[in-house]
Amino acid sequence: MAFAPRGPEASFFQVLDQHRASLLAALRKGGREPAGGGTHLATSSEVLAAIENVIQDIITSLARNEAPAFTIDNRSSWENIKFEDSVGLHMVSHCTTRKIKSDSPKSVKTFALILKILSMIYKLVQSNTYATKRDIYYTDSQLFGNQTVVDNIINDISCMLKVPRRSLHILSTSKGLIAGNLRYIEEDGTKVNCACATAVAVPSNIQGIQNLITDAKFLLIVEKDATFQRLLDDSFCTKMSPCIMVTGKGVPDLNTRLLVKKLWDTFHVPIFTLVDADPHGIEIMCIYKYGSMAMSFEAHNLTVPAIRWLGLLPSDIKRLNIPKGTLIPLTKQDQMKLDSILKRPYITCQPFWRKEMEIMADSKMKAEIQALTFLSSDYLSRVYLPNKLKFGGWI
Amino acid sequence: MEGTAVAVCEILKYLIIHWRCETARISKGALLEGELVISIEALNSKHQANTLHCVTTIASAGSIFGGLVLKKFLKEIQSILPGLSAELSWTSEETSYSQDVSGVTPFQMIFEAHEKPRTLMTDSLVIKNFLHKVITVLPKIRFNFSVKVNGILSMEIFGAENEPTLNLSNGIALVVNHQHYVSTPKFGTTELLCSRIHPVLGHPVMLFIPDDVAKMGLLGELILTPAAALCPCPNVFSNQLNRISSASIFLYGPSGLPLILLNPEQPTSTTFKDTSYFINWKKYHLCMVPNLDLNFDRDLVLPDVSYQVESSEGDQTQNMDPQGQTLLLFLFVDFHSGFPVQKMELWGVHTLLTTHLSAILTESHSVVQDSIQVAVDQALEQHHQAVKAHQKLQASLSVAVNSIMSIMTGSTSSSFRKTCLQTLQAADTQEFGTKLHKSFHEITQNRFLHHCSREVKQQLLPEKKNAEQSTEDAHENSSLELLAGRAVAAGNLQSVRVAESRLRVLNRAPSRRLHVCPAAAGPACCL
Repeated sequence: MAFAPRGPEASFFQVLDQHRASLLAALRKGGREPAGGGTHLATSSEVLAAIENVIQDIITSLARNEAPAFTIDNRSSWENIKFEDSVGLHMVSHCTTRKIKSDSPKSVKTFALILKILSMIYKLVQSNTYATKRDIYYTDSQLFGNQTVVDNIINDISCMLKVPRRSLHILSTSKGLIAGNLRYIEEDGTKVNCACATAVAVPSNIQGIQNLITDAKFLLIVEKDATFQRLLDDSFCTKMSPCIMVTGKGVPDLNTRLLVKKLWDTFHVPIFTLVDADPHGIEIMCIYKYGSMAMSFEAHNLTVPAIRWLGLLPSDIKRLNIPKGTLIPLTKQDQMKLDSILKRPYITCQPFWRKEMEIMADSKMKAEIQALTFLSSDYLSRVYLPNKLKFGGWI
Repeated sequence: MEGTAVAVCEILKYLIIHWRCETARISKGALLEGELVISIEALNSKHQANTLHCVTTIASAGSIFGGLVLKKFLKEIQSILPGLSAELSWTSEETSYSQDVSGVTPFQMIFEAHEKPRTLMTDSLVIKNFLHKVITVLPKIRFNFSVKVNGILSMEIFGAENEPTLNLSNGIALVVNHQHYVSTPKFGTTELLCSRIHPVLGHPVMLFIPDDVAKMGLLGELILTPAAALCPCPNVFSNQLNRISSASIFLYGPSGLPLILLNPEQPTSTTFKDTSYFINWKKYHLCMVPNLDLNFDRDLVLPDVSYQVESSEGDQTQNMDPQGQTLLLFLFVDFHSGFPVQKMELWGVHTLLTTHLSAILTESHSVVQDSIQVAVDQALEQHHQAVKAHQKLQASLSVAVNSIMSIMTGSTSSSFRKTCLQTLQAADTQEFGTKLHKSFHEITQNRFLHHCSREVKQQLLPEKKNAEQSTEDAHENSSLELLAGRAVAAGNLQSVRVAESRLRVLNRAPSRRLHVCPAAAGPACCL
């Protein structure tokens, strides 16, 4: 791969390479092929047939003088979600459901909106065009009421038809950024090279990306855009080349998660997160690694359980003597979130994460990554991250 | 006037009050249950021309008048009806009645009078209306009323024991079947699937008693409770019915007895001619005028007070249906004294109310109007919410139908399209769309009808046995109405006849008349 080697020496990446080897070995042991491949996506004809089946069921109910109803999985119920450390959070096979009835005053509108969006999806798939959730909402904002209604119905349809959202030709709006050693060609033929000075927006059609090329030694997921920009300004990707940086600007959108998943599936490049040492940052990291409740029905396509926590660790605060004046007390919401995370099923197989969270809980303090600037303005990119990566300071 | 009608009604009132007090001693709040037979046999008088000799019999079908002391009863009745130009006599079956009997055998009394045929006809109508009014609040009492004129018999049974009711306090239950209050043909082509009214109870208010009335020795409180409802049911109907075109007011006293004995020959009280007395109609942008056209010869309970909206030319804001809805207002006056009420005390209260009703209501105008206004506001709000819900439903169904049509017509799969058409038995896409809409509409209307009947069930107070029976029958009523409707649609007349005959058994609505009317019988024959 013809990237000019401007990064550290090869020995710098020794621990990283060992880490990658162990990850690959774990994959083989788990019976999963290390070679990357995409997950199976439904074809257009499969999606159209699925929608036609739904319509036929409705018409059959009407012919029997029965009120048609949709049976929707309860996606956002913990009783329907289980944890597997190879997948993360995903829906159980026989989950509880709810009925959206056409003859109930409370649900008739939702019933109608589901049909409305199904008909729009049908047209998109037939015409091989795409729309975002926002586009769907704005086709008749008065009818839908608000964006959240549209978002939930689209997710329910995806879950009901057992088809990933991108197969429904509905794209999520991307807000993430990429930078570093990565090239690809978008669906429309646009060639993208992320190794430029400014970052590249995460594409809206991850499924359509082709010719992915990289020799990155690691992929760093950065929680905040401010931190990402700071690292860009510090030429981190050049100094630590070959590497890739991604940010979801907080809670990641679907496309950012899909991209990370795609990069892992394709290249098995070690992935690390750089988040604030606070419950919110930890939760964002968990979304990348184990998935979210809302998208648990698509966990297999979105989660990367191999992700490791690089920093900022609560234990780093004491280790690095970060001034106490830069720390922030945990709020009541922080404490509630921290308690919630500690109770989640995936923490039981992460004893080191648990320990870090307990340190945070005991100290009742949190710290942003920016706290490192009090040590020196470029401490993060010049000292902290390189040392962490060189000496395996991840958990 | 103290003709047969007044006599019958006063005697019935007395008996019901007695019955009520006896029942309350055993089970407070229980509904009165039993059957009374009223028969009038009239023959041409041998001594007076154009006069009928009428023998009226009032009897109970079972032993429901326990504790009735006959001598005392006769004395009290004669004091109530001093002008009755007839003889009250008493007959008993076998030897069971003595002077102080505890009433273990059926009761019967007979009196005679002479009346003109036209008067008898009027009396019959007055009695019928009275009986009908009574059973709409005392639904478990059944009246068997017959008139035989020169051998020609007409009989009618009044009862509502299997109809859905709204239980009120103190042993009264308001029948909520709209057929008692509004005639169905009025709504001709408009869809009507819910046969109930849904009364909203207002808060009880204490009536102020004028001094001169209080001096008559009323020791207790008069409490008025209003109940307002729109008829027909606003929950399940075509969107054409959304304006009030008339208002009907019914006044009931303690024990569920009508306070006003309507007579086609007597004018309405001056108080009630003031249309703004009970309700401030301006608030609803309505102009009401008294409706003096009371047609006694109908199967409806005639209101004590009736108003209608004064139509104004050029009013294009109202919807197309010229009939609109009727606002029903039921005013229940009850008596509380802190002690168990005695029969004569209750009788005295009733007499006081019937003779001084206008004065009492005038004295209490402000509180009465406030309480009624709140109940009416709630009933109208209920109506408004129902209209909104209906519109929302229609909009949603339209979206659902259009979405399905979009997929069906846009599909390139001929097998899918063919299957859709075959399933709904449609020849083409247009017919498919029509049937699709119709199917959704029928299913949602059925569901809303069920929702309506459940609403009535939820309003019932604990007399669960009665409630369950009423609800079962109410459900059955609904099913039968739908069955009849569908049978008609399917052209199955036999099913319609079966369904309708079962409806007649359950409902009071149409009378059962044994009516043979030879041409020579004259007007007295027609009830």
